[in-house]
Amino acid sequence: MIVTEKLSRIYKQGDFIIKAVDNISLKIQKAEFTAVVGPSGSGKTTLLNCIGGLDTPSLGKVIIDDENISNFKRDQIIKYRLNNIGFVFQSYNLIPVLSAKENVEMIMLLQGYNKKFRSERSEDLLNQVGLYEMKNRRPSQLSGGQQQRVAVARALASKPKFILADEPTANLDSISTNKLLDIMYKLNQDEKITFIFSTHDQRVIDRAKRVISLEDGKIFNDQKI
Amino acid sequence: MNFLTLLKLGWRNIWRSKLRSLVVIFSIIIGVWGGLLILGIMYGLNNQRMDIAINGYIGNVQIHNENFLDDYAIKHVINNIDKYENFLSKDSRVKAYSKRIVLSGMLSNSNGSSGIQVLGVNPSSEKNVTKIYSKLIEGEYFKSKKNNTILVGKKIADKLNLKLKSKVVVTFQDEKNNLVSLLFRVEGIFRSGNSMFDESNVYVKNQSIRDNLVNFIGFHEMPIVIYENIEDSSLDLTDALKKDLKKIDNTNIIQSWDDIAVELAYANRMISAFLYFFMLIVISGLSFGIINTMLMAVLERKRELGMLMCIGMTRLKIFLMISIETLFLALIALPFGLIFSYFMINYFSVNGIDLSIVAAGLENFGIGTMLYLKLPLNYYYEIGLMIIVITIISSVFPSIRALKINPIEASKNI
Repeated sequence: MIVTEKLSRIYKQGDFIIKAVDNISLKIQKAEFTAVVGPSGSGKTTLLNCIGGLDTPSLGKVIIDDENISNFKRDQIIKYRLNNIGFVFQSYNLIPVLSAKENVEMIMLLQGYNKKFRSERSEDLLNQVGLYEMKNRRPSQLSGGQQQRVAVARALASKPKFILADEPTANLDSISTNKLLDIMYKLNQDEKITFIFSTHDQRVIDRAKRVISLEDGKIFNDQKI
Repeated sequence: MNFLTLLKLGWRNIWRSKLRSLVVIFSIIIGVWGGLLILGIMYGLNNQRMDIAINGYIGNVQIHNENFLDDYAIKHVINNIDKYENFLSKDSRVKAYSKRIVLSGMLSNSNGSSGIQVLGVNPSSEKNVTKIYSKLIEGEYFKSKKNNTILVGKKIADKLNLKLKSKVVVTFQDEKNNLVSLLFRVEGIFRSGNSMFDESNVYVKNQSIRDNLVNFIGFHEMPIVIYENIEDSSLDLTDALKKDLKKIDNTNIIQSWDDIAVELAYANRMISAFLYFFMLIVISGLSFGIINTMLMAVLERKRELGMLMCIGMTRLKIFLMISIETLFLALIALPFGLIFSYFMINYFSVNGIDLSIVAAGLENFGIGTMLYLKLPLNYYYEIGLMIIVITIISSVFPSIRALKINPIEASKNI
């Protein structure tokens, strides 16, 4: 379970103080399929950065499965991210010199898994996202939707507790978006993987089981569907 | 992630921008090739200068009467020369030795006169000690049965308009300070490669001097050869021999070639440091190109590096990955640069570069007209190592730049 307790992230910009996240307390249960929505500057990304251990809260804490990750030291949080959190980026961020399979294997390499395990798991994951046949293609040989599916497979590779996806469909057409959402939803249903999206995309919002709406860094609506 | 993966990733990363990597690789190849070629020229020049001096006329060690160096008088002959001969003929370190009569005098003919040093030699033993026999450009090396033949340098031959068989008069002082004039006929004209030497030294058979100075006994100079090539020269061996020779008679002075040709020895001592310093400047120049390229590569991949940091790649691994990429650029270029240089230097070490167009200037500097490049193998290893070390140092800057990337900013979101 992911818990934020009175979480605030305050930035100083010159003489101004910006509260990107303002006193947010929420609980996200295992296997939720949650969308964090809101206008630009509402604090969606900052909230996800804090939950993902990429940013340190100014106040409050982030507790994941009873562990307060806000107090972790730099090396500790890097290791934690590696083993517990999957990331899906808006612009895929695959490594262009590696094949789809090698991109998926990358995270398992960092985790220190052996070659056989890496190979089998990466092929299995690519199979799940429907890209087994394209495992040896490099990112430049894949469409945007296919690249994002590889990114999902990569995020899953480390067997994370949850996946944070920032605007995962922002660069995709409707067919690719639906395909990607189908895959993520299936993974959520079949394998009980927690997904947290930040999104503007109505198609994602429509598929979410919980929608947290932010405005000015605060939750103004938290709706379970 | 193991080291092999980092190597694989580094290797693939450098070929992302082929043109940029190739430009850096070629610049390193040309830098290494050009730098080593210049080193080969400088080392070759120094080597030739040493060779001309040491094998041309000095030898490795010389014995003189202690007063001879202050006063080139005929009376200052080497004391107990038989003991030296006895020692040298039995010593296994000694390859050859010779005995010379050295007189300061005047060479004259109808065209003028010039101050000279007369070297009275035994032609056969002198041949084992110095290479003057091989430097003859006209005539022959004491083939005549007559004793009154002389070998003169090209410079003095030009000055006095001497040709083969020209008659010259050599004037010097005998033991009683009386002037003695002897007539010689030019049998050979040599060009040692050092115009100063060619202008001020002539060779005669020592018998020709003895025939005319019946009371004169002894020799003024004993050049000794203990190593055939100057590369084989060993200070320890020279010093040991000097020490042993000193024990024989302390009224004589034993000098090694570096005591005699001080400026040559100094240049030789400096050359190595100078060559490394020169190469250090060349490589440092190249390192700026490497740093610039890698900084560009890091900035271009800001988002990707940010992503790697997000998903859990440690700072050490990011640092190593960038360092490996940098090192690869040098490691690809290095063998090509070294091999090209090696073959080119080897080719010109055999065939030489004809510099006869500037012969006069080179001979004034003590170098022949053919320039033979030379560079010992240890320079290739050491400069290769130097490049690797400087590349590793260069890789620190882009690697540190990579570590400064903020993963949040780099990946824009999450």
